[in-house]
Amino acid sequence: MPETRRSFLKQSVATVAAVSATGCAPDGESSRRTGDLSADDPGAGPAPLPAPTLRAVAEAVLPEELGAEGRERAVTAFERWSDGLEPVAELSHPYLVPETRYSGPDPRPGWAAQLQGLEKECRARHGTNLADLDVAGRRQLLARGVGQAGPGLGSAANANHIAVALMAHFFASPVATDMCYRRTIAKQQCRGLEGAPAEPEVLAARTNGAPSEGRRGALTIATGAAP
Amino acid sequence: MTRVIESDVCIIGAGITSAMVAERLAERTGASITIVEAGGRTASLAERTHTRARMLAYGENPYPNDHIPDQTGTGEMYRQMVVGGSAMHWGGAIPRYSPEDFRLQSLYGLGFDWPITFDDLEPYYQEAEERIGAAGEQGPPDCDPRSRPYPMPPLPLSYNLARMREWTDRAEVPFWTQPWARNTEPYRGRNVCQRCDTCAVCPTGAKYTPDFALDQLLTAGRIDLIPRTLVRRLALEPGTDRIAVAEAVNRDAPDEPVEFRAGTFVIAGGHAWSSHLLLLSANSRFPDGLANRTGNVGRYMTGHWFVSGYIDLPMRLYPGIFVNNSLLSHRFASPGPLDRYVRHDIRLWESDVGRAPRLRNGDGSLLWGDEIMADWRERTESGATARIRAYYDVLPDRDSRLTLDGTNTNVLGDPMPRIDYRPDPTTLDLEDHTHTTILGRFEHLARTAGGSIMSTRSSRLYEHPGGGCRMGDDPATSVVDRWGRTHDHENLFVVGAPTIVSSGCANGTLTFCALSLMSAEEIGKGFDRT
Ligand SMILES: Cc1cc2nc3c(=O)[nH]c(=O)nc-3n(C[C@H](O)[C@H](O)[C@H](O)COP(=O)(O)OP(=O)(O)OC[C@H]3O[C@@H](n4cnc5c(N)ncnc54)[C@H](O)[C@@H]3O)c2cc1C
Ligand code: SF4
Repeated sequence: MPETRRSFLKQSVATVAAVSATGCAPDGESSRRTGDLSADDPGAGPAPLPAPTLRAVAEAVLPEELGAEGRERAVTAFERWSDGLEPVAELSHPYLVPETRYSGPDPRPGWAAQLQGLEKECRARHGTNLADLDVAGRRQLLARGVGQAGPGLGSAANANHIAVALMAHFFASPVATDMCYRRTIAKQQCRGLEGAPAEPEVLAARTNGAPSEGRRGALTIATGAAP
Repeated sequence: MTRVIESDVCIIGAGITSAMVAERLAERTGASITIVEAGGRTASLAERTHTRARMLAYGENPYPNDHIPDQTGTGEMYRQMVVGGSAMHWGGAIPRYSPEDFRLQSLYGLGFDWPITFDDLEPYYQEAEERIGAAGEQGPPDCDPRSRPYPMPPLPLSYNLARMREWTDRAEVPFWTQPWARNTEPYRGRNVCQRCDTCAVCPTGAKYTPDFALDQLLTAGRIDLIPRTLVRRLALEPGTDRIAVAEAVNRDAPDEPVEFRAGTFVIAGGHAWSSHLLLLSANSRFPDGLANRTGNVGRYMTGHWFVSGYIDLPMRLYPGIFVNNSLLSHRFASPGPLDRYVRHDIRLWESDVGRAPRLRNGDGSLLWGDEIMADWRERTESGATARIRAYYDVLPDRDSRLTLDGTNTNVLGDPMPRIDYRPDPTTLDLEDHTHTTILGRFEHLARTAGGSIMSTRSSRLYEHPGGGCRMGDDPATSVVDRWGRTHDHENLFVVGAPTIVSSGCANGTLTFCALSLMSAEEIGKGFDRT
């Protein structure tokens, strides 16, 4: 029965890639502990994602073209999205399939554990915080955790690694589409019918109103709202 | 104690076909009308902004409580059982069937003729379009006949679709805007479309959903709507073939039976549950189920299959401008004389397939931020993608069948439906020819654009399904007459999808609505006009 499956998944612990990006547990038994926390106490909220480490990851995996402000908006949007995520939620019914489908178990404890593990490995290998490591060094650490993921970005909620989740969330946003095309497409935003026939307007750059020139100048684009 | 609810007309089901029948009867007769719906209420218009946001962010179902967990059949059928039915979720594409669909045997020597023609149904098509609020433009009249204009102008072609239409014009294949149940003008108290582009759940109310019509009828005091109440069985007046009562259970108080007594009963339960209820209602007079003296209930289940693909176009498009509008051609559904039978429609959408951001490039190398963006840009600047799909008709077989499945019961112990669709052997004989012809047309379109086919696939999902209580003049081969009245029970009607003879090569709901309105005209004859 679908409901049984839902209850099962609700109770099951998100151990998605809880073993850190480095392949080692964040701290001794902590991947188990993280899991136990939500299994034993379903009332407890998800483990918070450590903000400084999340931002250090974002700097390594989101486009530089966003600029610091744009990147901060993208990370904040991700945090809001992550806060609102409900594990094992009922999904839209697939067309002509008489079953109820649910989203997976909570990925957040796994992501939090990965972030802790990254800091730990960074200190062990490089004697520094992740934020103080250069971007190339951060990417090397992240690449092992990302493993065989891809070739598509998939949905953020299904990402087995926090870096992939961050990228999947950002690149699915209307902001990213506009940035890619350098046009104001504003996908899935209620835009009225009048503008539909026109070629979308060229996206203005914040600095001088000119089209964005790669990584120079953060773009004047709205951040996708979280529900 | 049994609760008894009496009315002139009892309609079982509160989906779009029910809304059509109720609205017409309420407007044109003084009949008292009760609608009984197994499901409850789902997200109101005011709540849809929030549920839409969650659908976009997390893929969640925007219509909470839209199904009954233990009321689950096997085979292709809709999950939704809710006030408004499946058309709460629908996309709202509302093409008509083609005139040929009604005369396959006469014109091509295969399949079956309907007992009615396109011309018989045409006034009801128009009426359905007016009730729903259809926005559309007429295609070439020889393949898109209609007697009056659409009630509203079509959705505007987006920049992307306009470029695509320039291309299809060069290929000399006529395409026009898909007709939609979405407002391009304020209509019947509902908003104009705002191009939010999530039509599965429309936050503005521009897309027609049946709850709007049902709520207006409730406010006007013209119907009683009894939700969360499952009709389990129809029972006869002792000694006659007339239906006396619909026996139901209130899902919130299963120990308190509910009886609906009415002069006329209308089953508007959709393609699966309508036949199911008739089969469940077997009694000593009708041991194989009501309306089933000739054994046709649950047979000739039907739908259409499709071939689809993606075309690489050497043009600059911007996917995301308006994904929920599309181009449509019925040219090949009205092909004139044929050496070998093949009929289908074609529709085209903007798409980002092959041009979406990705984590690994063609070599499998992992990409990060700027690299992902650069790889994405390169693929969007080198061309664009069109999604293409052709629905083609599947001739239904007598053994394409809905039966009661004793191995799968609901909490009340009632067997659930099982649908084993099966095509007529002719469809299988024609399948290769059909696919080759359609793919040839895709190829022609791609070549004209200077583009190429990226990928294709074929599907045997029975889309826009119907059948199970097909209409006909001969009771030996059908369940209902052209008006939806069952041959066996003069006060029992089945309306919409279950009554179709074949499923054409276009979305079916507008046809189901037109047929329901035709039934409503007949049902209304028994009552004073208002
Ligand atoms: C995602 C999606 C997209 C779609 N898009 C399109 C589209 O673009 N164009 C198109 O033409 N079609 C589309 N469809 C199909 C369309 O929604 C259906 O064809 C249409 O809604 C069927 O209406 P109906 O009234 O026949 O049945 P339903 O909508 O199934 O309504 C029947 C109602 O009867 C109730 N019922 C059944 N049995 C009983 C009983 N025994 N007791 C009490 N109540 C009962 C059910 O609970 C249900 O609510 C789509 C469907 C889906 C799911
Ligand atoms: S595009 Fe129009 S009909 Fe579709 S969701 Fe938006 S407003 Fe509603």
